[in-house]
Amino acid sequence: MKLSTDTLKNMIRAIKMTRPDEIGCDDCFDQLSEFAELKLAGKSPEKAMPLVQDHLNRCGDCREEFEALLEALKELKVGI
Amino acid sequence: MNKGIKINILDLIANMALFIYVFMINWFKRRKQEAKSYRTNEEWVESLSNPPDEDAVDDLRRYLIRGLKPALYKYVDRELDQFVEDVAQDALLKILDKIDTFRGESKFVSWAMKIAVREGLSELRRKKWQDISIGDLAGSDPEEEGSEINSEVFAIDDPGPDDTTHEKMMLKKVMGIIEEELSEKQKKAIMLLMVQGMPVTVVAEQMGVTRNALYKLVHDARLNLKKKMGAQGIDPEKMLKQL
Ligand SMILES: [Zn+2]
Repeated sequence: MKLSTDTLKNMIRAIKMTRPDEIGCDDCFDQLSEFAELKLAGKSPEKAMPLVQDHLNRCGDCREEFEALLEALKELKVGI
Repeated sequence: MNKGIKINILDLIANMALFIYVFMINWFKRRKQEAKSYRTNEEWVESLSNPPDEDAVDDLRRYLIRGLKPALYKYVDRELDQFVEDVAQDALLKILDKIDTFRGESKFVSWAMKIAVREGLSELRRKKWQDISIGDLAGSDPEEEGSEINSEVFAIDDPGPDDTTHEKMMLKKVMGIIEEELSEKQKKAIMLLMVQGMPVTVVAEQMGVTRNALYKLVHDARLNLKKKMGAQGIDPEKMLKQL
């Protein structure tokens, strides 16, 4: 099995974007409900919590959960 | 004739009574729901702490179910209601179990909802990938995962004798760094996440580590590669343009 050029590109891109202060899934999850509430209130959580935004950009599972959480909270009218 | 009209009128009255009854039930339900949403964080925690108040648990369950439906419907192709109810039940147990870790940084309902959403999506990921084990993906016996697979995984087309372009040389160099610098565990994780496109949740479970630990493992790998590439004068930006 060989690495395709696309995979290699993705890897190099991921390496390029790597920073030492990234947070993990646990830290992201700890702050996720607050982040989501700010987002729904039209505030800019990415400014107040840039490392959470950074993790969401990198981690597909956490991003998926964040988007689903937004839908749930919209339904429950949280943040309004 | 008269009899027919009478029956119709009776029908009509019965229907109206039913309508009013349903309307009132809904009105009471709605009023109850509206009242619920004013519950403060402190009240939630208080009523759900040992021993949990049954009404509060029911209220929370209803909240979770209501929120989970729009959150998960696009991932579930059938029996959404049943799935959402099961997820809400599993999530409730987790929520009650770790209620003392709630620090009030958000509304209680948002905090509970995120636990339920993670529960649901994790379950869906598991289901989606359950029949595909790491061994299958690597094309070998699950019991035999090891260096052999990984060294094959991180191979690129060997440049032929005539092929000595700068691009190929750089690629070879990068592959060499990857091969040398990463642990077998890191290679395996990167392969499953980036080549196979498996979710972190699933890879973590199959590798027997937490999701957070897996993220850290790959983060360390990326950091290390970045450092080593820098030391060898390889600019990722330039490489991306050349590829
Ligand atoms: Zn994550």
